[in-house]
Amino acid sequence: MSRITGILKRTEGCQPNILKTLLAIQSELGHVPPASVPEIARALGVTDAEVAGVLSGYPDLRTEAPGRHVVRVCQGESCVANHCGRVLKEIEKKLGVGLGETTRDGRFTLEKVYCVGNCAASPTVMIGEDVYGRVAPETVGTLLKDCR
Amino acid sequence: MMRRLYVSQDTTARAVGADRLAKAWEKERDVEIVRTSSRGAFYLEPLVETDGPHGRIGWPNAAEPDLPRILRGEGGTPIDKIPFLARQTRVTFANAGVTRPLSLEDYRSHGGFAGLDAALRLAPEKIIEEMLVSKLRGRGGAAFPVGRKWQAAYETHADRKYVVANADEGDAGTYCDRMVMEGEPFRLIEGMLIAAYAIGATRGYIYCRYEYPAAARALWEAITILTEAGYLGEGALGRNARAGGGFTLEVFVGAGSYVCGEETALLQSLEGKRGMVQPKPPYPAVSGLYGKPTLISNVLTFATVPSILARGGAWHASLGTEHSKGTIALQIGGRVKQPGLAEVPFGLTLEEAIEEFGGGMATGARFKAVQVGGPLGSLFTKAGLKTRICYDEFARAGAILGHGGIVVFDQETDMVELARHFMAFTADESCGACTPCRVGSVRAREILDGFAQGRGRPGDLDLLADLGETMKQASLCGLGQRAPYPVLTAIEHFRKEFK
Repeated sequence: MSRITGILKRTEGCQPNILKTLLAIQSELGHVPPASVPEIARALGVTDAEVAGVLSGYPDLRTEAPGRHVVRVCQGESCVANHCGRVLKEIEKKLGVGLGETTRDGRFTLEKVYCVGNCAASPTVMIGEDVYGRVAPETVGTLLKDCR
Repeated sequence: MMRRLYVSQDTTARAVGADRLAKAWEKERDVEIVRTSSRGAFYLEPLVETDGPHGRIGWPNAAEPDLPRILRGEGGTPIDKIPFLARQTRVTFANAGVTRPLSLEDYRSHGGFAGLDAALRLAPEKIIEEMLVSKLRGRGGAAFPVGRKWQAAYETHADRKYVVANADEGDAGTYCDRMVMEGEPFRLIEGMLIAAYAIGATRGYIYCRYEYPAAARALWEAITILTEAGYLGEGALGRNARAGGGFTLEVFVGAGSYVCGEETALLQSLEGKRGMVQPKPPYPAVSGLYGKPTLISNVLTFATVPSILARGGAWHASLGTEHSKGTIALQIGGRVKQPGLAEVPFGLTLEEAIEEFGGGMATGARFKAVQVGGPLGSLFTKAGLKTRICYDEFARAGAILGHGGIVVFDQETDMVELARHFMAFTADESCGACTPCRVGSVRAREILDGFAQGRGRPGDLDLLADLGETMKQASLCGLGQRAPYPVLTAIEHFRKEFK
């Protein structure tokens, strides 16, 4: 039995909920493979289109496996006011990738995020679930170095 | 002698080193680290506190080598002497920085459940009357009178009703909901319990955004604690057997869609669907989640309810201005000296908020503009700083208070780039249900891309104004209706930069 089949088995008997199911798959696999859409649809008793619509409708649902560390640079207004663009530029330079890309060694995926509620300590960078505040271009290197 | 040190476990406090301090110091002999919520004076974090003879003493921006100094009691500041905090009227955030977020004992000993206890002594109609008298308006952004929502949900008969907390705090520059959820989750749940009892709901959800993992964890733990203590779950509601079928509460985590903060899109998302905005009516209070009456309000709104029931609707209506009652949680940020949360009665001016609480501009920064109300709010220049922070004055200025976010920009901010940023955000986040927003936001972004690349054409500004007007008039929800405001106010105030 594949891991996805196992996750789908656990949702049996519950009210079918596409988003919740996709998030459950993502939390175990790191992403939702598009090829699994028909199997998910069958298990939930909905159409393929409904599942694909949810999968493409939410920015935080991934269809590809990300790098080991997802680095998200906040683009919320408070971070913009505190010139987060300079932080982003430095991270891009250090990692050698742009937004939405993964480093060749699979260590980092670089993304933007609209606000993580850390606006009183802007600029903000989120690595995995860890939030870092008052990030300056000069401190970016230390943050990244700690991610193996 | 054992010395107790209070260190916040709020996400922002942790983001600036609170965990590092706690970890380094917990190994010390005779030191007990107590993790609390945050005062919201984030410019002081990591803020370490000890018990003094007349209340807490604080050591702002503490670092590891400060420990001996703190233990000797050298150089601390009495917390109640810090002007940023002393000038506030803390009601909903009264316990911020004081209590342990998941201690039921702390919550009870600091006034917790006084509102629920009062509510359970009243008939549902009386509770709704208190809410109407309080004149509380929704704190999420739409500012709808809360009592009227409760009344509509109460009067609609159904075999099942829901209470839903909108914890999809997506307006950039705001974090007061996050502070409630991480810092005092019991207060939010108490408010939801009161609402459930008043309208006769048996099930509830907290729709929490994906970007708030710590808040979601705190909520789940709080629900477990309250279920074990008999407040939640099937059977008794709020430990009161008289109050019907009980109240079961769940946390539902979203997946990064801003438009899911709009109530109809949120309810679609809660059902597991793509978060598409639905036309109203029917309003959720009549037909919401799974077609059942659903009372949906944002986190701060529910968190305000316990004090209203505990102290009475008339007390709440005595705070604030004529049409804006109670307190507002301002989240002041951007290029100010003192970013943080200020809970104050409505009615102070923007200038007072920025100067008295924000502490003026950060070192080296000169004021250029201030954005109030998140990505759908309006930009103000110096000339607008006398505007009083209340619903009516903001409405007259064509602006909104939104979720209370105030972001100050400095002289280095490129207004064309900022306008483009706002419209790109809407183009990214539009759900696509209506054409003005779906197409309008993309077209407007393209025009602004042109300006950003220095190839704005004659007539482009008129075209933007026209497009903006169409979006305002014809969009289905607040996203499309309000998205043109930051752009149009940027053009209005900084026309010279658009070329």
